Amino acid sequence: MFQGLKFEPIDLPETATSLRDQVRNFLASEMDKQQLPDSDFNAGSSAAFSAKLASRGWIGMTWPKAYGGGDCSFLERYVVTEELLAAGAPVSAHWIADRQSGPLLLKFGTEEQKHRFLPAITRGESFFSIGMSEPDTGSDLASIRTKADKVDGGWLLNGSKIWTSGAHMNHFMVTLVRTEPASENRHAGLSQFIVDLGDSNVTIRGIENLSGDRDFNQVFFDDVFIADDMVVGEPGNGWEQVMSELGYERSGPERFLSAFRVLVEFIRELDGNGTSEQVALVGKLVAHLVTLRRMSISVAGMLEAGKLPLTEAALIKDLGNSYERLVPEVIRLQANSSMSPRFFDTLNQCILHAPSFTLRGGTREILRGVIARGLGLR
Amino acid sequence: MLLPVGWGSDNEGINLNEEQLLIQESTRRLLSDLCGADVVDGAESGSFARDLWQSLNETGLTLASVSEAAGGSGGTIADSLIVIREAAKFAAPIPLAENFIALQLLESAGGINGQGGGSKLSAAPLTIAQGKFEISDDGFLKGEAVQVAFARWCDNIVLVANRSGTPVLCTVPVTQFQLQQVTNMAGEPRDYISANFSISADQILEGNADPEGSMLLLGALTRAVMMSGALESVLELSVQYSLERQQFGRPIARFQAVQQQLAIMAAEVAAAIRAADAVVDHASSLSEFEVAVAKSRIGDAVGISADIAHQVHGAMGYTREHVLNQRTRRLWCWRDEFGDERYWQQVLGQQIVNAKADDLWATIASRT
Repeated sequence: MFQGLKFEPIDLPETATSLRDQVRNFLASEMDKQQLPDSDFNAGSSAAFSAKLASRGWIGMTWPKAYGGGDCSFLERYVVTEELLAAGAPVSAHWIADRQSGPLLLKFGTEEQKHRFLPAITRGESFFSIGMSEPDTGSDLASIRTKADKVDGGWLLNGSKIWTSGAHMNHFMVTLVRTEPASENRHAGLSQFIVDLGDSNVTIRGIENLSGDRDFNQVFFDDVFIADDMVVGEPGNGWEQVMSELGYERSGPERFLSAFRVLVEFIRELDGNGTSEQVALVGKLVAHLVTLRRMSISVAGMLEAGKLPLTEAALIKDLGNSYERLVPEVIRLQANSSMSPRFFDTLNQCILHAPSFTLRGGTREILRGVIARGLGLR
Repeated sequence: MLLPVGWGSDNEGINLNEEQLLIQESTRRLLSDLCGADVVDGAESGSFARDLWQSLNETGLTLASVSEAAGGSGGTIADSLIVIREAAKFAAPIPLAENFIALQLLESAGGINGQGGGSKLSAAPLTIAQGKFEISDDGFLKGEAVQVAFARWCDNIVLVANRSGTPVLCTVPVTQFQLQQVTNMAGEPRDYISANFSISADQILEGNADPEGSMLLLGALTRAVMMSGALESVLELSVQYSLERQQFGRPIARFQAVQQQLAIMAAEVAAAIRAADAVVDHASSLSEFEVAVAKSRIGDAVGISADIAHQVHGAMGYTREHVLNQRTRRLWCWRDEFGDERYWQQVLGQQIVNAKADDLWATIASRT
């Protein structure tokens, strides 16, 4: 079989059951009942909620105890994250730090960086953004132009990042920058910096998305001084480091659960009945969801085994994104006007945010290119 | 609904154990030798692939999940499903699935090799009939069934008949039926049979609470696994063809438009394989829920995958000569057999809708 197409079944650890119960009990008491649940990981940001999760040890779960982590497996983390998303909890404040900035620092950071940043993340006090896209750089990430020049004791950063979710609320941004002029090897000469978003030479300008939310931003760097100890890994190694983040970024349950609450509310409206078409639609969406989840858990197992399943992660994200784009489209055609405002609010929020599902973290076209490479086509 | 006893308590994992890898490998080797495109063509023209069946039988692969006590290989359900899946990759024109289902039903009712009055294991294949049959008070079997797979090439048919309000399993020689040869669009025998003859007590078995339900579930299970095998083969053919076929001075695989299509197909096929792995993995405690997920999800993958496979193959893939259609025509049939996507989506959807909306997640999370 082709590389990247094998998703071996894997059992969740025995601790999963009790962990799941703990999370459910926590959510039953800590979720704001006034807030409409939304399974989109980017939908709700609450520092207070993240701090409560942190106090239960559910941020940085897989990291070593020495850095405030829980020494848990990726599969245990998987259980916690999927429970939070399924319940529609507001998780976006800590999401990026927990999912990929922390693991990046664990893998490439210095001992000092690990002690400085990781414990604060696990306490729910330190939130991160991703600094990849630029105004002229989206899918073609190697074409970034934000650059840094070497100065005494550090670097001087100039340029701009865009579509930066949460930059106006978060503390740091792991930022991909060009530290050497572009050469024939487009992937060479890139580096990752930790940028303090509170720096006075950093300007953050909100961008309203089509739903009217102000979640993402453009971030400007105007001679921002980056001390040498804020460089992640080796200068020039940025491309490889960014690629290593993608296994975490693309394979998780947030890549197919974004529309989950629409399905829940639809079933609530059916109230034990439903036409044969409505019932069959529920069956179809559940069959796809169960299968996607199994594939995603397989990848969590690969991450746990220390593998770098980039093709598998791309495949799950593509399949999962297509699914979460499909859910509101097909459910709306099985809805009727007697359904509740709660149902329509959930549905409409999903429709408004759905265009972002297949863009963030890699467009479907890029993902399919990755899969095609796994098939040996390119 | 749970499957009948006899589904074994052995540790079945799709992380295949050594024995299962051996089963997979020997099935593959045998089929590579004995199930070329000409053999499939021959079967579609009406000649039974006897050599193929006999070889699989002699190596015990047709009896993989039958207990040793009953004269089988003493393996698990998963073992048989592995054989069935491998065979589907080659479009093997033999009743491996039906033989497995028949044996499973008989053994779960305690009836192989004369135990409890059942049929004797023989080298010839068994098939099953889903139909309406009745046993009258004077011992006559009456009824009919359509789409009886490979009936004309089998020795015995296992069917469910109603006897005084109780469903019983009957094992009846094919020669006793009136048989009309019918084939499906894949050229596979799907015969019509009718019965109106007396049946003896030693052909009848009780002891399976819901044999019709079990037959349907086992049937859908085998078709799910077969579709995943054929889909895997179709993807391999398509990728290979795209790398060989040159247009505009380069392989068509180099064109993004083609790459993107094959990527979509690869994702569907990967999902199908994972869904099939799940039913193989859970074969020892299989539920209607699991079968519904697998049969409907894999069926959904068939339409889009066959579409892309044929598009990539161009007119070449539309010819009878090319092996692609030996797989795609079977996929188009198998997705309809033992309940199409819509049927199983309704079964699954009804289970979900009957429960509380807020329990949906717990139901999904309980599936690994």
